[in-house]
Amino acid sequence: MINSLKTGGEKRICSRGELLLNEGEVEKNLYYIESGAVRIFLLSAHEDQTIRLGYEGSMINSLSSFLKGSPSEFYIEAIRKTTLKVISKEALSAIVNKDQDSLKGYQLLLENVIAQQMEREIDLLTTSPKERLQRVLQRSPNLFQHVPLKYIAAYLRMSPETLSRIRNS
Amino acid sequence: MKIKNEELITELLEITGKCSIAVRKMRMLDLSQLNYKRTAETWSILECIEHLNLYGDFYLPLVAQEVLSHQPGNVPGVFRTGIIGNYFVNLIRVKSGSVKKMSAQKEMNPLHGDLTITTIDRFLKQQEQLESLLIQCQAINLTKARTAISLTKWIKLRLGDTLRFLVYHIERHTLQAERIPKSRIEV
Repeated sequence: MINSLKTGGEKRICSRGELLLNEGEVEKNLYYIESGAVRIFLLSAHEDQTIRLGYEGSMINSLSSFLKGSPSEFYIEAIRKTTLKVISKEALSAIVNKDQDSLKGYQLLLENVIAQQMEREIDLLTTSPKERLQRVLQRSPNLFQHVPLKYIAAYLRMSPETLSRIRNS
Repeated sequence: MKIKNEELITELLEITGKCSIAVRKMRMLDLSQLNYKRTAETWSILECIEHLNLYGDFYLPLVAQEVLSHQPGNVPGVFRTGIIGNYFVNLIRVKSGSVKKMSAQKEMNPLHGDLTITTIDRFLKQQEQLESLLIQCQAINLTKARTAISLTKWIKLRLGDTLRFLVYHIERHTLQAERIPKSRIEV
């Protein structure tokens, strides 16, 4: 299933800083990241908050907008030069409904997403910054090789200074 | 200067609205134009806007705090400007359409180069917050309520003066930003 997604999509190359999706737009695609990294963030009057990171091998999009067809609350930005496979909603639906195995594969994918969401919820409830970092590294051991430190710090809800202090201690 | 709360807030809301419309128009420009700098020292459109965002980051929470801690109603409803407040307002206020050059405080200088369209979106969010605060401020004593200022911690401004400063400051740099694309065509 995942393999047919990788081959099925349309290739797109984004430069650093390019926005794949703006707030208010409806998400019509699913992205598979071949190389590079992206982040999903929420913008408020005083700061932006990184809520998800994606890198080589990740599937990512503004999920609630994609599923419900409602305007996205989030932005998606390429934080490095990134090569993507863009899979439209229609293409995804065609792949998923092809046969029983694909349907099962899609179900598995969604189950994973829900489980990840729960993990993230626990992350945010964890008070100790050190524990927050450890939890994330357990899930994504090579995060630091793919994503610049300042975005990891934002994702962990700590300052870049705090993050490098924890790493070095 | 004495002015009724209602008159002051109406004027400030009007300017705020105009600035939002102007910046919303700038959002249509492409990124290269938004980042265009005539010289290395002069600001691009996005740098002007980011400068305002930095001020907003400082002042909006202070104003919000004052609004929360002062009971609305039962106030004279007239604002009397302070001497220092008036001085700062007149310093930055645009008179007869000409912006006199000043240099920004170091902390408020948007030096970092990677500004994007979200700079504008963030500004528009701040404008919404400012509008809501202005409306709430109408019902509180703008002479009694005071806020700190970004320049020094030794001075406090009357809330009414802070609001005037904020809004005229936004007007100033919106005007500055509006003039940037024109100068590109002349070059």
